[in-house]
Amino acid sequence: MPVPSFTLFERLYRFLSSRRKLLFSATLLVVALSALASSKLKIQEDIVAMLPDDSSSVAKDFRLLQLAPFTRKLVITLKGGAATDPTALTAAADRLALGLNNEGVGNVMTGPTNLSGGFFGWLGAMLPSLATAEDLVRLTAATTPAEVQSRLQGSYEKLLSPEGWALKGSIQSDPLSFSTLALEKMRFLNMVPKMRLVQNHFVSADGRSALLVVDSEVSMTDSAGSRDLLGRIDRAVTAHVPAGMTATVVSGHRYTLVNADTIKQDLYIVLTINVIAVLAIYLVFLRSLSAIFVFLVPASILVIASGVIGLWDANVFAVTLGFGGVLLGIADEYAMLIYFSCRQGGKDLAVITGEVARPVLFGAAATLISFGVMLMSSLPGQRQLAIYSMTGIVAALLISLLVLPHLIKPAVAASLPLRNINIGWRMPRRAVIGIWLAILALCAWQATKIRFNGDLRSVSMVTPELRQAEEELAKTWGDMRDKALLFAEAKDLEGALALNDRLFARLSGRIPAGELVSLAPLLPSAERQRANRERWTSFWQNGRAEQLGQDLAKYGGAFGFSKLAFAPLLGSLSAAPPAATIEGLREAGMGELVDSLIIRAPGMVRVLTLVPDTPQVVAALSDDLKTLPGVRLVSQSHFGDSVGRAIIHDFTRYMALTSALVFALLVIVFRTPSRIMLVLVPVVTGLVCMLGIMGMLGLEFNIFNIAATILIIGLCVDYGIFMVCRLTEGSNHAANKAVLVSGLTTLAGLGALALARHPSMHSIGITVLIGIGTGIPAALLVIPAICNRDQP
Amino acid sequence: MTKVLLLITFLLFAAATATAGEAPNHGDSSAILSSLERTAGAVRTLSSDFVQEKHLSMFKTVLTSKGRFYFSKPDQLRWELTTPVASGFVLKGDKGRRWHERTGRTENFQISQEPVMKLVSEQLFAWAKADFPWLKKEYRITVLAESPVALRLEPRSAATAGFLHHLLINFSADGRYVRSVELHEKDGDYTRIRFVNAAVNKPLQADLF
Repeated sequence: MPVPSFTLFERLYRFLSSRRKLLFSATLLVVALSALASSKLKIQEDIVAMLPDDSSSVAKDFRLLQLAPFTRKLVITLKGGAATDPTALTAAADRLALGLNNEGVGNVMTGPTNLSGGFFGWLGAMLPSLATAEDLVRLTAATTPAEVQSRLQGSYEKLLSPEGWALKGSIQSDPLSFSTLALEKMRFLNMVPKMRLVQNHFVSADGRSALLVVDSEVSMTDSAGSRDLLGRIDRAVTAHVPAGMTATVVSGHRYTLVNADTIKQDLYIVLTINVIAVLAIYLVFLRSLSAIFVFLVPASILVIASGVIGLWDANVFAVTLGFGGVLLGIADEYAMLIYFSCRQGGKDLAVITGEVARPVLFGAAATLISFGVMLMSSLPGQRQLAIYSMTGIVAALLISLLVLPHLIKPAVAASLPLRNINIGWRMPRRAVIGIWLAILALCAWQATKIRFNGDLRSVSMVTPELRQAEEELAKTWGDMRDKALLFAEAKDLEGALALNDRLFARLSGRIPAGELVSLAPLLPSAERQRANRERWTSFWQNGRAEQLGQDLAKYGGAFGFSKLAFAPLLGSLSAAPPAATIEGLREAGMGELVDSLIIRAPGMVRVLTLVPDTPQVVAALSDDLKTLPGVRLVSQSHFGDSVGRAIIHDFTRYMALTSALVFALLVIVFRTPSRIMLVLVPVVTGLVCMLGIMGMLGLEFNIFNIAATILIIGLCVDYGIFMVCRLTEGSNHAANKAVLVSGLTTLAGLGALALARHPSMHSIGITVLIGIGTGIPAALLVIPAICNRDQP
Repeated sequence: MTKVLLLITFLLFAAATATAGEAPNHGDSSAILSSLERTAGAVRTLSSDFVQEKHLSMFKTVLTSKGRFYFSKPDQLRWELTTPVASGFVLKGDKGRRWHERTGRTENFQISQEPVMKLVSEQLFAWAKADFPWLKKEYRITVLAESPVALRLEPRSAATAGFLHHLLINFSADGRYVRSVELHEKDGDYTRIRFVNAAVNKPLQADLF
């Protein structure tokens, strides 16, 4: 039976064989130009690569989560010993802040901008606009004759004391302490639960720690910038934190740096193992100068794929280059098959190329389908990875089929290493099939135990030091970084504030002030303020203001107060009250607060409210807020679940579509069910074993496992095609060696990642190690055993 | 009242340590302050009775009160009003305690948590420690008269100037004690405190603080 062949490649070989210099020059030129184009790439180390960018809820939630206070800031806890007094602590915080400023780390805050007289004066003046109906009930109680007498006595005695001297103005305008009502509204603005103000500094409840907040321009995902930033902070800490005190920094920058350093350390180990393993593979299986070209193919396609991405979009996700690079770096099976076939010789190289082109093209088509389906992903990183990988596969295909055959010379039969390798088909076929089926059954059962974990934090490196720092931060300051966010969204500020008023009305009864952070009590909508003022004005009508004036004159006179002593107060009751505005809040020193809780975007204003991120609160609010359109709840813990669900959905869709398309391809190419089933043996074995063994070991399936699964599908389908073509189409090309050696290089490159400390690299390594590690024996042993064609 | 306390401390301090023969030339404020700074180190304790008169437009008549003041190095101070309301406070380092006879309430506090008290103690102790660089930073000091010494202090910061126009301090003829302090506000109101029976470096009962 003649071996099926793509004569196009046979003809191309003959055509190019007389133009090899031109062929090699053109290849080198393409690689060089690609290198030039790839030099323009701007690497984007942003986690958005792995988050949906469609209009899904997850994508919106992620963008909104970035708006939470403290998310993008560095938080430094300066801790003193048990004997540290507040003055020493705040002085040390000031010195450290100065040192940090001198190091140019960004804007450093040790306390609120300015909460001196200006703010309290503003707050008192705004009472008519802020007072609710409940406040007026309390005001009624505060203006009874007995209460007026009692409060006036208090004011009188204050004036005699040293503190009272500075309070003369406020006593004149508020002798009965009405402004306490306004001051109480500040209870809803404490973003750091266990914080109190000491000497205008953020100090912990136990008085032993001071808080510094750094607003840096360095992106959290910029590892080089983070290293420099944290280095400068370390220098300031070393120089300015006195003995007996410690400073702990918590921020996303630390996570970035820890992850970058861990990956670097891992790469040393992995690359060392890789080099040793590849060298061993070379010495055992190849031992030829021309084999070096096989290893050059993956390197070349890396450069070409990067260059194409560079021409298409200069901004490339780090994950594309990193993971895509690894994928293509081990994509050597086409080159291996051509190499072994050409080295084995026995025929004209043009004929061999034509024959080998068939399984190579089929394999590449299956791999392209696997990666192509990723184009439908909602994750931008995966879509870019698809383009990158598909470009690389096409480049690998062209180089392997057009260039490589001209670089390999057939070996003398006796000089081929391991020329008699025939391990697989010497084994009893029934035993092989029996063991295989038993393993498949066991793994299929165990695969049901596997758990998906979509939390991106699970693939991030968190050292014990970082975990301890986070725990210490929560213990010292309370839950300041993990609040659930509620956004009242509208086209303009007034609309957003009005919605925020309604939201606050629902929340204030069920969440205590210390746990609820809302701007509504201090900055209601203009409409609400107008209503408050009308109520206030109405309250003082019908003789109430006059009665208060008479009571003040009567009881004040007893303490020696003049008739005009409280004219400012009585005047304010009849004057038009001022409105609370953002500008007023800023002038009163609350600019930071306003910027944290009011977020403007083109055509959109959001007012942020913070609530505890507990399952109970989130569940209750999720239901309740359905009747409050325009309010969006974003829970950090809930977000992890949402991402997980989105990833699982993506993965399920991907698996179904890939399976269908690859199956369709195999049907077209191999036609008979038995041959199709044979081709699928390695990929089914690899996937079932991977899921089963991971389930058995209690390993969770994360986003990197999913990406690595694509590789398993691509490679194992290739192995199946190579083997089935060899066994059923009468070709004598060295598919078994190509599968074995290509599989071993993959294990050496990616399987070694299982030894990495970084969770993402470890995940890839484990997946590949199990998937490819079981797919290779399935291809080499099970297919021949089922096929029953290869006899020793 | 914060500033009053500052001045009381300073003036009693100065009165106790200055000598007539050491008085510098009229108008030479630096020399006067330097002299005070040099002699301040000798003062360990101070005590004095005081009479406070408040000339405030919000009262029909002058509001008069009486009390007693104590200071002990390095960081203890007692301000006690005896009439018309028995009340007062003690400062000891960062800690404080205030009491009020009518309400029967006594409460402890931390100075650093109370902005007004923090201001009081910060400046009081600056005076007690003769921190003239700091005081010069806070006030423009003019010597109005050399014998007896009279000073006028004008706040530099806008925040302080918002409620205090200037201070007038008059020393006794021999410079041993402060005769009176006047705190003038922008609206013409003022408070005068007269100190009598000043005692310097006399033992003070430990339970005063």
